[in-house]
Amino acid sequence: MTAARFGMTALALLLPASLLPAQDRQIEVGLEGFAYESATTSLNRDNVLGLDDYPGLGRLAVGWRETHGSFRAVFRGYVERTWGTAVDDTDWVVRQGYAQYWRGDKVGIRLGKQRIAWGSGFAWNPTNRLEPPKNALNTTLEQEGALAARLDWVPAAWASLALVGATTDVTPRDLPLATPEPERRNSVALRSRFVIEDTDVALVASGGKNQRTLFGLDVARDLGWAAVHAEAAVYEGAEMLPARDDTTFFRLVAGALRTSGENAFALEYFYNGEGYSDAGAQRWLAGLDRAWAAATDRALPPEARQQALAVYAAGATIPYAAGLGLRRNYVHASWTRGGATSVWTGAVRTVLGLDDGAFALTPGLGWAPRGNVTLNLDAILLLGPEDSAYRLAPVRGALQARLKVLF
Amino acid sequence: MCEGRPPPALALAVAVAQVLMHTLLAPGSARAVPPDAPTILRRADRAVLGETAAYTLRMTVVRPRKPERVVEMKGWKKGDDQGLVRYTAPPKERGTAYLRSGDSTWLYLPSAEKVVRVGARQNFGGGDFSNADIFRLSLIKDYDPTLAAEEVVEGQPCYKLELKAKDRSIAYDRVVYWVRTDGTFYPVKADYYTLSGKNLKSLVLSQVRPLGGRTRPTLLTMESRVDEGSRTRLEFLSILDDVKLDDRLFTASALERGE
Repeated sequence: MTAARFGMTALALLLPASLLPAQDRQIEVGLEGFAYESATTSLNRDNVLGLDDYPGLGRLAVGWRETHGSFRAVFRGYVERTWGTAVDDTDWVVRQGYAQYWRGDKVGIRLGKQRIAWGSGFAWNPTNRLEPPKNALNTTLEQEGALAARLDWVPAAWASLALVGATTDVTPRDLPLATPEPERRNSVALRSRFVIEDTDVALVASGGKNQRTLFGLDVARDLGWAAVHAEAAVYEGAEMLPARDDTTFFRLVAGALRTSGENAFALEYFYNGEGYSDAGAQRWLAGLDRAWAAATDRALPPEARQQALAVYAAGATIPYAAGLGLRRNYVHASWTRGGATSVWTGAVRTVLGLDDGAFALTPGLGWAPRGNVTLNLDAILLLGPEDSAYRLAPVRGALQARLKVLF
Repeated sequence: MCEGRPPPALALAVAVAQVLMHTLLAPGSARAVPPDAPTILRRADRAVLGETAAYTLRMTVVRPRKPERVVEMKGWKKGDDQGLVRYTAPPKERGTAYLRSGDSTWLYLPSAEKVVRVGARQNFGGGDFSNADIFRLSLIKDYDPTLAAEEVVEGQPCYKLELKAKDRSIAYDRVVYWVRTDGTFYPVKADYYTLSGKNLKSLVLSQVRPLGGRTRPTLLTMESRVDEGSRTRLEFLSILDDVKLDDRLFTASALERGE
């Protein structure tokens, strides 16, 4: 996004609002620094991605929220500079920029780039196709929204309906490598939510251009010892390559949240029906080997080598640009300690790939010396067998620091 | 002297006796025949907040060897089981909100822009109150009360009620509850027990003063009996009773849209 568009979006949203006396105004300034350790792996043969040993990115982030009665305007964005990557540059990104209006408690409309944030799942949300998947390795990272128009209708306290039209071509932002620009997805989605016998039930239907038609069910309930949830989706055709257009796929997230004092424990299982089996993963890796061999075969004409390199690049970015996970079965577990009144918060998050032993460990520390200042430091360690999904990644791990000051 | 009229000394004695009887047996008197336990509990349930209310709160969490942490909130309640609380300060917590409707509790996390279902027994905001303590302001719905005794607690003559949970899903199996006998029915203290009989925490309601048009306890202090020195104060800063609130305020949609 150009600087001009970034600035215009911010001004268009906030100037009218800021001229009025704010009922509630919150301004936020932040610094984000992510540093990675790169690796030469099957997905980064001969360091084809052109990464330095420790590539990274730095961001200056701003946030502004204005509320005037039933009207709200929000802008969140950042300026980013990358280093140690193939093409270091400066970019401007609007995470969110929207205006919202509610008529009483019954009807609301929201226009602009916004988070949809559907689904009860903590690390994965298979019923949400309107936004890119969240980063399961660090779910606390702020996500970018989709350009959307959203209409909410609450006919009764036990029922609500949300209708969204969205367009998005967002790629994963927090990596030091460029993923291929995805095709723009134009989607329409309807989500109806009910509270029946103290159980949350949501039904979702979505589809559109470059978008698989999806039907989803989301259920959540407090069982006393824990709050449990299950979120499932069924759809035809895969998100990940190969497309498998005539195959019906199923995704399911089921999990529990238990809290005790300042401690919160979360456990979540994810079944990704379109994920690769052992044989499928072997075929994918073998395909990458073949493509790389052709790309580096000096006996082939340059055009053929270039074509092979493109095939390799497309295959190598499947884990980052496509679905929610490369394989079929994952478990996410987390422990966090601390609350609203804590100066220090601690967290340990893990993701375990049950098919290949992939293991990601994300310890994190939060410090809030004042009520308007927070500093978060997270480390991501990618572990497991060398041929497991996380160890194939072109990075071995990351340090992610985020400082936020609110006014 | 007319026949049939008592002598003056006797008349005086009868008058004094009548006044004494009237005083001692009058409703609200410490010596009156006490109301039944459900009536006491029902009256105590409404002593702090009305049937519907909008209020502002300051919560102070005290932990041994740590500085006090303060959070401010706005809250709304309707009936016995609908409540909504939004954090207004400090800035890093602004927008965080808890919703209670029926037996369900949800938490809205503004950083993730997500509504998460949480347990009623979860600690509220990292303090010593649980979600159930905050949002289930009516005990009569969850507990069967019996009047155990009358005794002086926190310097106040009180009815001592034994509350037994109606089922095992209730946050505490047993609560001992003291309610003033002076006709105000202000709750004074509560001790909360687990199924195994362990005293988890104690609540003291104090600072009885006019607020929002009537006099009531305005400071609730919950002290942990498990972690010595840990306690949480909830201080009502303002209260508006009997405000008109739409049921749709107490929905996940309302949580998501913010104030």
